[in-house]
Amino acid sequence: MYAEFDLTIPADLPEALTALAAAGTRAVPLSGGTNVLVDIRSQRIAPDRLLDLGRVHQLREITVDRGRVTLGARTTVGDLLASGEVTRYAPALTEAARVFAGQMVRNAATVAGNVACGSPAADLVPPLLVLDAELTLSSVRGSRTLALCDFYTGYKSDQRAPDELITAISWPIPATGSFGSFYKLARRKGDAITVVGVAVSLALGGGCCGGVRIALGSVAPTPLRVSKAEAVLEGQPPTPERIAEAARAAAEECSPIDDVRATGAYRRHMVGVLVARLLTNAIQAGN
Amino acid sequence: MSDVDTIQRNLRFSQIGKSLTRTDSPGKATGRTPYAGDYVMPGMLHAKVLRADLASARLKRLDVSKARAMPGVACVLTAQDMPDRAIATDIPGQTGRARLKTDQQILVKERVRYFGEPLALIAAETADIAEKARRLIEVELEPIPGVYDPEEALKPGAPVVQGTDNVVATHKIRKGDTEAGFAAADVVVENTYITPFQEHAFLEPEVGLAWIDENEVITIRVCTQVIEHFRAVADAIGVPHNKLRIMGALVGGGFGGKEDVTVETYLAILAQKTRRPVRLEFSREDSFVGHGNRHAMKLKYRTGVTRDGKITALDVQVIADAGAYVYLSPYVLLYCAVNAPGPYRVDNLNVFARAVATNNMFTSAFRGFGGIQAAAAYEQQMDEVANAIGMDPLEFRRQNLLQTGDPISTGFVPPSAIWTEKCVELAWQALGEPAPAPGGSIRIGRGIAAFQQSYGRLTFLHDTSEAWVGIEMDGTVTVRSGVTDIGAGQASSLAQIAAEVLGVTLPNVNVYNSDSQMTPLAGTTTASRALYMTGNAARLAAQAVRDRLAEVAAELFKAEPAQIGMEFNRVLVIDDPERSMPIAELVRVCASRGVHRSELAIFRAPFTDVLDPETGQGQAHPDYAYGAHAIEVAVDTETGEVTVLKSVAAHDVGQCINRAAVEGQIHGGVQNGLGYALSEEMLYKEGRLITPSFSEYLMPTAMDMPPVASIILESRSGLGPFGSKGIGEPSMTPVAPAVANAIADAIGVRVFEMPITPERIWRALQEARARGCR
Ligand SMILES: Cc1cc2nc3c(=O)[nH]c(=O)nc-3n(C[C@H](O)[C@H](O)[C@H](O)COP(=O)(O)OP(=O)(O)OC[C@H]3O[C@@H](n4cnc5c(N)ncnc54)[C@H](O)[C@@H]3O)c2cc1C
Repeated sequence: MYAEFDLTIPADLPEALTALAAAGTRAVPLSGGTNVLVDIRSQRIAPDRLLDLGRVHQLREITVDRGRVTLGARTTVGDLLASGEVTRYAPALTEAARVFAGQMVRNAATVAGNVACGSPAADLVPPLLVLDAELTLSSVRGSRTLALCDFYTGYKSDQRAPDELITAISWPIPATGSFGSFYKLARRKGDAITVVGVAVSLALGGGCCGGVRIALGSVAPTPLRVSKAEAVLEGQPPTPERIAEAARAAAEECSPIDDVRATGAYRRHMVGVLVARLLTNAIQAGN
Repeated sequence: MSDVDTIQRNLRFSQIGKSLTRTDSPGKATGRTPYAGDYVMPGMLHAKVLRADLASARLKRLDVSKARAMPGVACVLTAQDMPDRAIATDIPGQTGRARLKTDQQILVKERVRYFGEPLALIAAETADIAEKARRLIEVELEPIPGVYDPEEALKPGAPVVQGTDNVVATHKIRKGDTEAGFAAADVVVENTYITPFQEHAFLEPEVGLAWIDENEVITIRVCTQVIEHFRAVADAIGVPHNKLRIMGALVGGGFGGKEDVTVETYLAILAQKTRRPVRLEFSREDSFVGHGNRHAMKLKYRTGVTRDGKITALDVQVIADAGAYVYLSPYVLLYCAVNAPGPYRVDNLNVFARAVATNNMFTSAFRGFGGIQAAAAYEQQMDEVANAIGMDPLEFRRQNLLQTGDPISTGFVPPSAIWTEKCVELAWQALGEPAPAPGGSIRIGRGIAAFQQSYGRLTFLHDTSEAWVGIEMDGTVTVRSGVTDIGAGQASSLAQIAAEVLGVTLPNVNVYNSDSQMTPLAGTTTASRALYMTGNAARLAAQAVRDRLAEVAAELFKAEPAQIGMEFNRVLVIDDPERSMPIAELVRVCASRGVHRSELAIFRAPFTDVLDPETGQGQAHPDYAYGAHAIEVAVDTETGEVTVLKSVAAHDVGQCINRAAVEGQIHGGVQNGLGYALSEEMLYKEGRLITPSFSEYLMPTAMDMPPVASIILESRSGLGPFGSKGIGEPSMTPVAPAVANAIADAIGVRVFEMPITPERIWRALQEARARGCR
């Protein structure tokens, strides 16, 4: 690999934020590197400076506190699989982690890297969307939180300012009785880029659905929630007709393209199939 | 000979047939094995290749002046610097046969014919400088209309890529009377099967190091299947054959992709020019366009059959995409034609096969070599025909399978046993109880595929192989042979053979191999021939040494030479094993008497003329291997996703030399075949490869592999040492059609084009629903 760049390896978070602020727009944060190094090698990016977060160890904690689960930004996909809290409070995220890449990449790839890479196929994002996840963005100017569903502004563009790092990702502990799941449709079982990703979450109470969340990957410029489809079921009894209607709405709300993996037509059809399937499973699990 | 005879030829082996630790295993397991890319030299330069980024163009301008001027750049070469240089691309390795006149430009002179065709070579003090210099070269390409579909390329007025009409090769096989055969048929079934390009995707991309030695010999250490390209490379750069030396190394995978010349010519040219050691390593992207891929083919099968299941006629029309240059296309196509009816008795046969040039990536050798495309078609067709007459696919196969002593398509009777039927039965039985249907949208299906695949090269190439075996005074054995070891244990199996014959244990044998000037030339490691050819040569050499030792031993023990046994490093009298001594002691006695303790042997395959050009009758190969594969899949009929649940291989390998290595080949063949059937796809847009990385070119990973069961039969009837056949290619050949048949069984419709992706399954089901079938 041929590339020239400067490398900063800060020892802790304040040092990282200072370095990032000093670098202006020229620095690219480096976490697990499973996107960054691939992109440099293929000349998709040519950063002047890499800011290696590998020594900022305090960002690798998973905590449960005051009704929220919080992941440090350097939590790896492997860490997710090893965490009882994540299994308990975010089964859809665990399912996504399980089908994410292969073991070697899971050991290095981080949650923040997956969120920040902005890929429409980022597998952790749909499950985080259905959990109502929030990002903490920090800079020398201070910290702010932002709903994940507001983070992306278009294909590979987002609300992060150049001097900001994602430092945490958190979500409220789901209400008891709620059920979430994720399905990755891909062309092979290991190390595959998702063709269609679907995450759903809902709770059943008094025979009706509540907290309905449906999020999709690889079928639009960014991972997205399909709110019209959610609205079809919200507060309604989960009849097969409504599930079919929600699935149809989801298929309409996305905007998939043709690429080397599949056509847009196939993807759209699969959104319908998989949304219906996951909703049906969630409702069965709730009953 | 009958099956019983062959079994009773059983010998008591002390080394052969066992799963002994291969001689190359410890180094690989510990990571100590040096591969070709690990070699470095003082003062070494690093090379890069600049490639065209259009598939059909005229080179208008190539300005290398900035690159040449860059500090640290030792040399930049273009076609202008070597105006009359060309490289031969057909018939790899040793054979006296005249070539096909397919010599091609080494660097683009004027016309670019495929995406990635090399334009310039750069050598610099570091790889980074070479890369920077590459980016400084200014290229102006003028696009010219290309042709990217072989059927289009056949049309009058199509852009001409090769020759006058793009037809690179034509083969015909005609036998019996197909017209009468079709007239006698109750049912005629016609289908067209499409098989895809495939990339070898070895772990180790092409790499090598060249230098000029003290005798002015251009020496190249390179990962290759064929060190005997030294002749072609010497011719290309204008030096005598004995002044060019190619040394191999343990190779990180070949599969046919290192059968043609890759980096060697560039290295030789750069070393000659700079007089310094030069290293060239292909990136993965280079590798995708740096060696010929598997031919995509379209195979039209028309089968006449009676209601009771007898095939009365078969007509096969094949079009193969040869890509932009000829390479091995004529031979690949010949394998396809010869194997077109598969392991079945077809008395009325007509095969017409053409390989056609396009501006796609050139295609050449790949495990299975044309035979595999035929298998993908004939085995799917067997199921379709069975369906059409309402017969069980196994029963239909049983009725038509070749039996030992039957002639194949070319009229040739394979000299060995044909145990296909046994393999079909055993593989099918081993699937056991079907997986319980999980309900919902999941359907379970099963498929079988039998095959015929040659081992040994085309007999009109007059193939030979040499090996030298010697025994040392401490009782250790040395084998010298040019054979390349591409990861299947080729060197280790020679050691195991020498150990068996000379009665020593495997760790006492060392093999020196893969050096075109220092080891006896053994030919190519291709065509499932290395064991057959070089194994026989090693056996002959070892036997000659053994006979001389046994004579002395007989004298010492006052016994007959026939009574002398050698095993586990001792020599003994078979009926009276108390009379024994260490082999080392015997060797010392022999040495003191001046007995010749080494031998150089040559093994010759059968030599024939070419097949009759009109009828295709005659002998094409020394012999054939047979077997079968059974697959069970689960298919999600809503999404089209396929999960391979079970995979059973049953092969008559003749005789295992190393059982674990045979199983290794079978496992690898399954992985390779599953990718071919299900997911591997080289997509071109106007000849430009748009899937040049492993995130788009999808080989099955460990997570995709099913458990693989191997049923290994040993008819001991093969032409290889101890009755062995070959397993390198055969292990892959039946896998893809077995998968295709299992999927069709599961969902009730067939996807006629591989890879059988989820989307293709979904479409086939939708079309079937639209037709109201289900
Ligand atoms: C073989 C392979 C398989 C893969 N399989 C999958 C898969 O199945 N599913 C999937 O979704 N992805 C997959 N990926 C992509 C990749 O692994 C993931 O997107 C991963 O989560 C990226 O995390 P990282 O830590 O490696 O990020 P990096 O590569 O280090 O960074 C990615 C991006 O995020 C930015 N970034 C990183 N950390 C921060 C931060 N704290 N704040 C702000 N910006 C930050 C970087 O600047 C960069 O733009 C795969 C990659 C490979 C190489």
